[in-house]
Amino acid sequence: MSVRALWIISHEKGENVSLRFARRFATVEHRAKILAGSSYTAVPEDNTVLQLLLTELGLSDPDKPFVALRDDCFYRQRSPALELRMDSPGKGMLWPVLAVSHGPITLACLPLVDAPAEPRPALASLLSVSQGLTLLAGLQTFLLGSGGKPDSEVLVSRLAMLPSVLLQVCPLGTPLDVPLPGAPSTPTVPTPAENQKQPAWKTGLHRGRAAVNVALIETVRSMQYGNRSRQDLWDVYGTVTCKCEVEGVLPNVMVTLTLPPNGSPLQDILVHPCVTSLDSSILTASSVDNFDGSAFSGPYKFPFSPPLEPFRLCSYTSQVPVPPILGSYQLKEEENQLRVSVTLKLHESVKNSFEYCEAHLPFFNRDQFGVVDVKVSSGQLDVSKEKNLLVWGLGQKFPKSREVTMEGKISFSGPTPGPTDPLCTELTAYIKLYFKVPDMTLSGCSVDQHSVQVYSSAKQRITTSRELQSKEYFIWNSTGSAPVSSGQMML
Amino acid sequence: MSEIWTERILSFSRSPSRFLSGTTADGFLAELLRELRDDRANYSLKVLLLSPLCESPSLLCLSDSVGEETALELMSVFNQCSPKALQFRCPLLLALTSVLVCTSCVNNRSRASQDFLDLLLQITQDTADLHGDGVALRATACDCLRELEACSPGLLSQRLELLGGLRQREMSRLHQAYAGLHTLVLRNAVYQLTQETGAGAEHLKALLGGDTSVAWEAELDLMNNKDDSAILSSLILGPMGTVPTLQTGPDCKELRSVLSSLLEESYLLTPLSQAALLHRLTEVVAMVPGVSPAVFRAQLLRLLGTSEVCLLHSTLLMKSAFTDSLFSAEDEAFLLHRLVVLSQHPLLTPPEKLFYMDCILNFPENRPIGCGDDALPVLLTPRLASVLVPTVFNDSATLLARLHLLCLVYLEEEEEEENEGGEEGRGLAYLFDHLTSLLHIVDNGGSREIVVTFFRAAFLFLSYFFHVERYSRSLMEELCSLYLRHPHLAPHFINLADHIQEQLSEASWATEFLKALQGAVTDTDLASRDLRWHLKLLSRVAEEGDIHQRSTVSFLSRIITSSSLCVKGDWRLGNFLLGVCRCLLVHPGLDALLIPLADVLQHLACHYGDTDVRDHARLYYTLLTTLSREKLAGVLSQESGEGGGQAKKRTLSCIVAESEGLTSLLTVHRAKKILLRLMEEPRTETGSGLNQSEANPEGASAALEQYRAQFDVPGFASELPLNYQLTHSEGADSCFDQLFSVRLHFSLTDDHYEPLGDISVPCVFRERPPPSVKLGLKPRRPQPTTLHASAIFTSQDGLSWLTDLPDVHVAFQQTFLPLPAPETWGRGGRLSLFEGLWDEMSEELTGGATSLFCCPLPEEALAALVEKHFLPYVVSDPADREEVKVLFFLPPQSHLLLRICSEETVHFSVATDNWQLLPHINSYLLTLTGTHTHTHTLT
Repeated sequence: MSVRALWIISHEKGENVSLRFARRFATVEHRAKILAGSSYTAVPEDNTVLQLLLTELGLSDPDKPFVALRDDCFYRQRSPALELRMDSPGKGMLWPVLAVSHGPITLACLPLVDAPAEPRPALASLLSVSQGLTLLAGLQTFLLGSGGKPDSEVLVSRLAMLPSVLLQVCPLGTPLDVPLPGAPSTPTVPTPAENQKQPAWKTGLHRGRAAVNVALIETVRSMQYGNRSRQDLWDVYGTVTCKCEVEGVLPNVMVTLTLPPNGSPLQDILVHPCVTSLDSSILTASSVDNFDGSAFSGPYKFPFSPPLEPFRLCSYTSQVPVPPILGSYQLKEEENQLRVSVTLKLHESVKNSFEYCEAHLPFFNRDQFGVVDVKVSSGQLDVSKEKNLLVWGLGQKFPKSREVTMEGKISFSGPTPGPTDPLCTELTAYIKLYFKVPDMTLSGCSVDQHSVQVYSSAKQRITTSRELQSKEYFIWNSTGSAPVSSGQMML
Repeated sequence: MSEIWTERILSFSRSPSRFLSGTTADGFLAELLRELRDDRANYSLKVLLLSPLCESPSLLCLSDSVGEETALELMSVFNQCSPKALQFRCPLLLALTSVLVCTSCVNNRSRASQDFLDLLLQITQDTADLHGDGVALRATACDCLRELEACSPGLLSQRLELLGGLRQREMSRLHQAYAGLHTLVLRNAVYQLTQETGAGAEHLKALLGGDTSVAWEAELDLMNNKDDSAILSSLILGPMGTVPTLQTGPDCKELRSVLSSLLEESYLLTPLSQAALLHRLTEVVAMVPGVSPAVFRAQLLRLLGTSEVCLLHSTLLMKSAFTDSLFSAEDEAFLLHRLVVLSQHPLLTPPEKLFYMDCILNFPENRPIGCGDDALPVLLTPRLASVLVPTVFNDSATLLARLHLLCLVYLEEEEEEENEGGEEGRGLAYLFDHLTSLLHIVDNGGSREIVVTFFRAAFLFLSYFFHVERYSRSLMEELCSLYLRHPHLAPHFINLADHIQEQLSEASWATEFLKALQGAVTDTDLASRDLRWHLKLLSRVAEEGDIHQRSTVSFLSRIITSSSLCVKGDWRLGNFLLGVCRCLLVHPGLDALLIPLADVLQHLACHYGDTDVRDHARLYYTLLTTLSREKLAGVLSQESGEGGGQAKKRTLSCIVAESEGLTSLLTVHRAKKILLRLMEEPRTETGSGLNQSEANPEGASAALEQYRAQFDVPGFASELPLNYQLTHSEGADSCFDQLFSVRLHFSLTDDHYEPLGDISVPCVFRERPPPSVKLGLKPRRPQPTTLHASAIFTSQDGLSWLTDLPDVHVAFQQTFLPLPAPETWGRGGRLSLFEGLWDEMSEELTGGATSLFCCPLPEEALAALVEKHFLPYVVSDPADREEVKVLFFLPPQSHLLLRICSEETVHFSVATDNWQLLPHINSYLLTLTGTHTHTHTLT
């Protein structure tokens, strides 16, 4: 349950590769040697590891079209564990090398295999693998922040902090914790003499007024084909994020999620480890089961003791009967130009009050726009600087009819070819919708301010919020062949 | 100073081997320790200095005793440094742990390791400092103890009760560190008991109660005798694993209370530590049948709903250990459904999803039917698995993992349907459609990653469903038309055919595929820019004995006669053409091809625009028309024999194709082993032949002047002739018995010497006497050194090889030369020079140094020593037994003078004009006399 070594590399699509950080854990290596016996393979020097890793990730020799070692169709490893094959004398293997990439940064580690080396044990029997994944994910968040673009200056300063951070979270190669995202861990605030042990995941104690913030964000994804032979798809998942400032070593808080009557049950509920107990009925509904009308539909109670930093209390998925915006997209090829026709309908159950709503219509594998003669019934139409994308800003509201249209013709006679995409050839094209609706959820799920209970003597300030946002919301041209995005509906 | 160290540490960690080749491990270690003891160095530098000791202790401490000494040094540094210097003391403890573990000091229970253990235990019990600094030090001490126990299981078994108490009393966050330590020690202690015959409830109770009087006898040494890897290994290994058990009967309430207390507080641990704790406790309960797995039940619901990958994983491992004694059938169904959900959950990262998919393939079933790899859980129905079908929106790794899983699912489904007489499922049709859409993306110019992914997917699909004629045939057609549109993908096609042939040797898919490609290529009118790919492909097709090659030959004939190919005379293309011809020459169906192939070769030999290609074509033509088929095959066959056959193959035919042969001929291969080495030739110098004429200078100063005048000639006496023999090293393969054109290359590891030129040796044969090699080293400073040596040579079969030689060590005594006195001098002149030099060196201002080395040595031994080691350098009269005068000349311009006189002890008076030589002469004399004595250096 330890890792033998850890590497952090940066590269730009296989070029300008540099090793930003490397750490070997000698005592774990010592154990690896004993455990593996005669099939032991020592971790080679960093440069060798780097080269082998890039080969396995398919990033080495970016200028060569085919390299047998890199592109062999016989795909041995079962991800996420890579297998690094030594070409030096002895011909050993390093397995299982875990690697996670985000943008230009790749983090990799080599967990200890605490099982007989022959025959090779299943990945699933090695706890060090899931621990390694957790450690890498934690380090990644620490170095790059969660999501967003990595900032190279922040990265450099975080890398400089890494040795002292590892001293705390992974001394001697055994991962104990993940580094706190953001600031380096602060020294412990003295614990008052109490009978309650302080949780190891709580770095200090809050002093002052109690405040609890619960934010519920639902995300909707969709693939709409406008085609009878193919069913449209959409799904919804929600996350509840909390920030709790409550006094005490182990204060109790309870958040309750409620659904409207007839709301479809929340499925696939996953909870943060600080949740103290769960009712088994909460866990029963699953998106891969047949829908069961009798399923438990709330209220969903989550008792927990909060850590100091913001955290994701729980997540769920939900099956809603209709997509919030139903679209149709039709393209027709007419002598050097495309006839475009789009309709978007906002479902009546959705609040007609957006923070933003935009439709993007990219065009690939064609020349740049020549003449764009397109009219919209509502909102504003822009042509991107690169002349290959229409941006239709719908503003904060749909018109009263809840329906907007776009009609017109585009000719592609620009001087230079636009971007290419191997998927969107000929009439295969899509509209991608970006929108956010404050203070609503599709599932109807909500957190009532008064349902949040804080078992503490002090007075509390409790705020709750909810919103709906889109992600990967595609409407495909119904006259082209759209790629299949999920087999579930096809079978 | 600190920048230099930062740079050095960095270059060490980048490549320890390269770094250490420039210095010695001992030397570097000594420098590190000196700097660590230095009070002036700041702590952040010292932390950096610890990193080589933490990361690569075994490279620096080459023996256990060095490890032991290093640890003692580090401990004294620890004791001396300020208690406030926490940022240094914590890493120092880690470095100590690394050094002691990696040099086996812990396993041997050495003194330093016992002291260190006591120190750590003392720190962990020192709870006086409740806040601030002490806490971090205690946490680190716990981590070190845990690592020591992990590397040397059973080390702390006797402290179980102490550790349990510490854990229970700790109220700060530190309880996590104590809990981790406590559970590991508990697990190892219980394991040890299971290995004791007759151990039972009593022993367990005694162990937990810290009652050493009842403790079992074998204790400490137990693990040293056993197979170490067994106790280090996880005990939860799925259905195949067996767990050693301890029979206690139902009465083990002490253990039960420890377990429940640990589990109750598990919630307070971080997910990573919690997962480790649960896993250790799972092992403990699995080993003690007296405790019911139900102790975990209270935690289960919380764990089943968790979003943390390691916590759910530890739950799966728990299920693997306890199956239906803890998990009901509903739990099992729930867990599997949950894994399916998690394998495609939008909030998880791709590696996590891939891991969960792997968990599905290795799902710990309560009642497993089959076992081994890729046995799908019974509960995974095609309907359930359908949420995991691959789509073009997946990343490559996810796509392939999903395809693999679904192939297994539909393969099983297909077998069932076949039994029921049903038709092929829609699932398989979906997978094929998916493969086709990938193919279309490739067709539309997908990136290299998509191309590679597609071919991997195609291989995966075929390896499971090659027998489903409908799909395998249709895929073949699609691939052929893809090839015609994108011939530059030829290497991928060949790679696919190769692997299918290898994997599915019983199926003929690969052959038919190649045949179809041949048809596609030879049937079409072709753009010449793709010709090289077509030729490459046709070469591969021609390797198939079962495929008729007539169309290939007529294709060749067509392109050379009807295009400008011959006129242009491109050398590469010509070689690709010859490559196809060469494969055809060894094709079993050659008889039918004889005339058209001869025509092709003749045309090439007469009309091709490149002389080299023409020559080869002519050679092939001659071979084809004059040799019988068997002989032809013998000459050209790739497989034909070793040794001599290889040589023939390479000289005759390898150049024709861009084949493995050509590449191997043109590359220098790196030898896997060390093949050659340099052995020092015994020195044959005797006492310098003294001139009898005795044209000696008058007096010491005249001697000095005359002697020094010689050095005005550039290059005078500046070279050390070192003689070696170049021999085979032991264990070199017999194919390297005869080596030719050996070129030795030397590189320096320091700047004490001038760079050395390469040395050529015509040949080295094993059965002949080894050739002599003279290294003419020109010193800049008379210091011992190490040279890296390598050799490039040609082996019998014509290949070039590169091998490293063992390093050549030039010892201090090898830098000695006899006095380069003028030839006319006799003994008198030398003696005068000796006295003159001695007097100069004894004066304080000249920078010389004198020293005295004493040791007890019987007279005969001294005489023998002088005879054996000093003879060429002795300047005094051999008859003079009172005082032997020895003069070593060390190029370029240093001298080392010895007066040896024997009193009660033997006195070696040393004088030199280069004080840096003193430590070397000291250790040289020590080795010679084999004694430890006191020396005094007077400067």
